[in-house]
Amino acid sequence: MRIVACTEGSFGKLEPLSLEMITAARAAGTAGDEVVAFFAGQDPEPAIASLGVADRLIAASAGNSQLIAADPYARLLADAVAAEEPGLVLVPYSANGLDVAGDLAARTGWPLVSYVNEIIRDDDRLTVVAQVYGGKILAECSVPLPAILMINPGAFAEAERRDVDASKVQHRDAAAIVAEGKVRLIGVDVPSYDSVDLTTAERIVCVGRGIGDEASIDIARGLADILGAEIAGSRPVVDSGWLPKARQVGKSGQKVKPKLYLALGVSGAPEHLEGMSKSDLIIAVNTDPKAPIFNVAHFGATCDLFDLVANLSERLQAASSR
Amino acid sequence: MKILVVLRMIPDSAGELELTSDGRGIDREWLDFQLNDFDDHALEEAILLKEAAGATVVAVAIGEGSNRVLQMAVARGADEAIALEAEGDGMIDSRAIAGSIVALARSKAADLVLCGVQSTEDLFGQLVPYAGALLSWPHVSGSSRLGADGSALRVTQERGGGIAATYEIALPAVIGVQTASKAPRYVSGSKLREASKTAIGKAPSEPAGFERSAEIVALRLPGQRGTGENLGDNPENVAERLANILAAKGFAGV
Ligand SMILES: Cc1cc2nc3c(=O)[nH]c(=O)nc-3n(C[C@H](O)[C@H](O)[C@H](O)COP(=O)(O)OP(=O)(O)OC[C@H]3O[C@@H](n4cnc5c(N)ncnc54)[C@H](O)[C@@H]3O)c2cc1C
Repeated sequence: MRIVACTEGSFGKLEPLSLEMITAARAAGTAGDEVVAFFAGQDPEPAIASLGVADRLIAASAGNSQLIAADPYARLLADAVAAEEPGLVLVPYSANGLDVAGDLAARTGWPLVSYVNEIIRDDDRLTVVAQVYGGKILAECSVPLPAILMINPGAFAEAERRDVDASKVQHRDAAAIVAEGKVRLIGVDVPSYDSVDLTTAERIVCVGRGIGDEASIDIARGLADILGAEIAGSRPVVDSGWLPKARQVGKSGQKVKPKLYLALGVSGAPEHLEGMSKSDLIIAVNTDPKAPIFNVAHFGATCDLFDLVANLSERLQAASSR
Repeated sequence: MKILVVLRMIPDSAGELELTSDGRGIDREWLDFQLNDFDDHALEEAILLKEAAGATVVAVAIGEGSNRVLQMAVARGADEAIALEAEGDGMIDSRAIAGSIVALARSKAADLVLCGVQSTEDLFGQLVPYAGALLSWPHVSGSSRLGADGSALRVTQERGGGIAATYEIALPAVIGVQTASKAPRYVSGSKLREASKTAIGKAPSEPAGFERSAEIVALRLPGQRGTGENLGDNPENVAERLANILAAKGFAGV
């Protein structure tokens, strides 16, 4: 069987989850299967310099566009799939993957399973385990091939970075498809780190929707100050305008790895965990004992966050003034 | 411009989820159903577009509590309300409802379909790419800002790492909203009462026409709670333990 593993990158970098797709493809494959990496972006060099663990690389590049929208990406992928006739296509769960996986499934009629963590091969079918309900339920699914899977970031380890042999790279010029497309890129905003760069912070106190309202953020900020930590928020907190975008942790925010991550009223949806699960020490406070944040926490407490923060702040302050 | 906005009622995942006896579904009997958060943002974005550029907004809802949420949509500014018939009473499978949404987009002559970027029940794929590809309309998922400009739409999309891309898209199109340009508005009780008189249309379910699909063999609760230590639920005890842990690891001078 042939397996197509979708990869992505921009601004001269390959997304690390691209390497996870290669590992996932190997996990789904059996000896003799061929893993073909598919890349579409402005510059194919980082893909060529990294994806050597795959058997081949299809590299579509559009020098005329900083970033390739999902629309041309999906059309380039559909062409590659028509030519390669794979038994399985793996797409990462990313902003791009969200558009690409379903698009290919609609065009081919193939089954699609999203949010996949595990893949087991049974001859001409797969058994996969996927996450639903914000990570609170695991669904074991049976998937007839050919099929498409959208893979959770972090579910598979990154494959070793290695050059792709020049003879194994097929270049595609995507400039025309990008220029003709109905989705035209007109601007890219890269966050400025003038105010704060969470990716270099050693201590982070993160508040989730459990904080309730904007005024209450000050309570958490007080504890952050005592701990010498940066304050951060989950998506709903940032969306509500209670904290600036640069302080969002997760899939569409920052990926952080501090020495201390204290999560207050954060449920731990997969999109949040993606941004912080590699932190050295994770402490979570959430009144729901089934909250998925406890799956990654080193220490967890199920008390009210306000009671805890008041108590802990008082204790830490008393200790430091002693 | 005519906007079709899709509102899915999903189980409240902050609540307790229990499995049915056959292990293939979640027990829906005592669950609270609420509007998918991202769909709420899609509704807001539709109303904001209507206010800024003029549009007719058709709200279509599916799942338990549809009528209530449609009344809320009308109170917020939707012009028409339609309850979509659901197949069975299990998960709202976006792959399965895509056919109905596509049929409605066509019969209502919509120029724009808006819905949330995802729902917690999107196991078999997301509505936006399915509907977009079945209609052969361009689609973009994960918008954080939308603006109309004649027959084109300006969409800002959140990519990873805080990077945002802005696109211009020719209508008709399908957009998956992550965050509305402004937080969803509240509606007053009097507006809700007024809206409760609105006639709610019905639409039948239409097959999406997929021959083969994956199927659920079993659902389970993630058994392993990780290797973390549970400090319990007494705030004073927890605070004491945490103060000691933080001090021992060098994060606080106790
Ligand atoms: C494409 C995409 C990208 C995304 N990117 C991100 C991202 O970058 N970052 C991100 O965070 N999310 C992201 N999300 C959203 C994600 O799916 C979740 O919706 C979000 O993480 C939930 O945030 P939360 O935990 O703060 O809120 P909720 O899930 O509502 O959780 C609130 C928690 O607070 C607890 N709680 C309530 N009151 C108290 C109290 N008094 N004391 C203690 N606990 C309390 C509740 O038990 C609950 O578990 C993304 C989603 C998509 C689809």
